This record gives sequence, C-alpha cells and structure tokens, in this order.
Amino acid sequence: MAMSPTAMVARRALAAASQGSHEGGARTWKILSFVLALPGVGVCVANVYMKMQAHSHDHPEFVPYPHLRIRTKPWPWGDGNHSLFHNAHTNPLPTGYEGPHH
Amino acid sequence: MAHQAHAYHMVDPSPWPLTGAIAALLMTSGLAIWFHFHSTVLMTLGLILLLLTMYQWWRDIIREGTFQGHHTPPVQKGLRYGMILFITSEVFFFLGFFWAFYHSSLAPTPELGGCWPPTGITPLDPFEVPLLNTAVLLASGVTVTWAHHSIMEGERKQAIQSLTLTILLGLYFTALQATEYYEAPFTIADGVYGSTFFVATGFHGLHVIIGSTFLAVCLLRQVQYHFTSEHHFGFEAAAWYWHFVDVVWLFLYVSIYWWGS
Repeated sequence: MAMSPTAMVARRALAAASQGSHEGGARTWKILSFVLALPGVGVCVANVYMKMQAHSHDHPEFVPYPHLRIRTKPWPWGDGNHSLFHNAHTNPLPTGYEGPHH
Repeated sequence: MAHQAHAYHMVDPSPWPLTGAIAALLMTSGLAIWFHFHSTVLMTLGLILLLLTMYQWWRDIIREGTFQGHHTPPVQKGLRYGMILFITSEVFFFLGFFWAFYHSSLAPTPELGGCWPPTGITPLDPFEVPLLNTAVLLASGVTVTWAHHSIMEGERKQAIQSLTLTILLGLYFTALQATEYYEAPFTIADGVYGSTFFVATGFHGLHVIIGSTFLAVCLLRQVQYHFTSEHHFGFEAAAWYWHFVDVVWLFLYVSIYWWGS
C-alpha cells in the first residue's frame, strides 16, 4: 500500500535495525516486539535500578555562581522563586539549599 | 438530483477554524495577562475553547471520512501531503532548538567557565534513565509497526494489543521524564544549559503526549471498527508522527544527553 518515501525509509531503517530480519508481516513484528524490543527495555530498567543503588545520596556543595540560578523575573506562581519542577533536595535557591538538609 | 462530478471533497462550512483562531488569541494574550496581572481566566478560557475545537473538528473529519465516504483516493493523497508537510514544519521547529543548543555549547562563553557543561552543572548520566527512555521509544516504534501490519492483515485483536502496548510505552516514557525533571540537580533557570535542556526536551515531551493521545484516539477508533485493512490513514498519520517523535528523541539523546555531558 502507498506510504510516503520518508515513512518507507523509517520503516526500512527500523526493519534493518532488527538485525537482518526481513520485512515481513504482523507475526514478524510481534516476535520482534517480545524478543527484542521489550527485553531491551527490561535490560535498561535493570541497569537503572542497579545504578540507582550505587548512587551517593548527597547533593553537591553549594557555590553561588552568578551564571546559575538566574532570577531576572520571578515565576508567575508561588513566591516566584521556585521552578516548576523544584526539588528542595537537589535544587538550591540562589541563596543556597532550603531548610535543614541531610 | 445533483451529484458531484469529481472525486474531491468540498467541505461544508464549519465554525471550528474560527473558534480555533479565537482560542489561539485567548491563550496568547491570556499568557501575557497571567505573567503581568496574575489572572489565569483568559488563558483557561482559551484552553477550554482549544480543546472543544480540536474535539469537534476532528470528530467532524472522522464523520466525513469514515461514515460519509468523502475520503476518496485523491482526497487521501491530499491528507498524506498535509501530514508530511506538517511533520516537516515540526522538524524545522526542533531544528531551531538544536541550533540554540549547539550555538551555546560549541563555544561556551567565559561567563560559563569556558566549558560545557558549564561550571557548577551536574549533567544527568546518559546511561541511566535517558538510555532507558531511548529503549522505551525504540520499542514503541517496533510495537507501532506491529500494529500497522496487524491492521493491514485484518488481525483485529493483535492490532488492539500492539496499539495498547505502544501507548503504554509512550506513557511510561512520559512518567520517566517527569521523574527525571523532578530529580534533576539543575533547573530551567540555570543559565543557557538549563534553558536549552528544558526547552528542547520539554517541547519533545509535549510532542510525546500529543503523539500518545493521537495513538489513543486511533485505538478507540480501531475498537469501533473504523479502520479497514486497505484504508486506515488516521492510524498511518499517527504512526508517522510517532516515528518523528522517536527520531527527535534520538537526536536529543545523542546531542544534549550524551555529547553534551
């Protein structure tokens, strides 16, 4: 059936990336999904889990660099001093980490 | 009785382009009002109007195509051109943000410490969650291809399974990125590193959400027997968009996460 050249190239690339499997029907891609794609995700999940365990839990020492923690204009929420995904443990304010920290 | 003597679709008059334009006006001016006068009313109104416009406009297209038969081969060809051109415009959109990233990172200024990442920035480990995210999106590209072949071969149950799997992978990516955003030791306010990182990955994340939604609509339509093995352009458009989102991520991963660390 007709597909754009771009889509055909993408499809070809994905088919080629699956280590030489011929471009086949639904069954081929189903096999690729359960034998290659999802186990690949599983391996990466395991990798993340193991790396998380090996992490140190301390945040880097605070240095009040002028090129970081820019506050040219306050954010339109809260006190205007906290970014949208602010995390008190990992994100210091321009004045340093907030509150008591371990 | 009058019949059209051509295969094209002369669309009936519709209010949705107007409501869409009004929504765009309300959202943009509403954003300015929020920033300067701390009221979210205008922006919220614009957002609601936008959602209503999208729902009704696309519902009408589905009615015209699937139920009224207006999407003849030449009409479908036009829709294909349209989707390709739209995705092309999105490529240029992202190109701009990559330009900004490389402009700042190839020649880091003295203010940043003359290095990239800038002094004081702890970049994310590219071989932790970002690598997982890469695997998730690549896997979703495989599952969406499985879905396409299933539809073409009339395998209804497999099509539903593979499409669902694709959407779940998309949601998993979004959840992972959200936790990365929360856990990151740097914010959008951390100089040009923060700006380029969060604007580029942020717009990408928005496109993942849009793509997942598009696929979810296709899943609903597949369940309701809208697609035939020969004619399922809505799904193809969603799949093209999804592959585009995947490719943008690959560039983001290599440029910002990997090289940029």
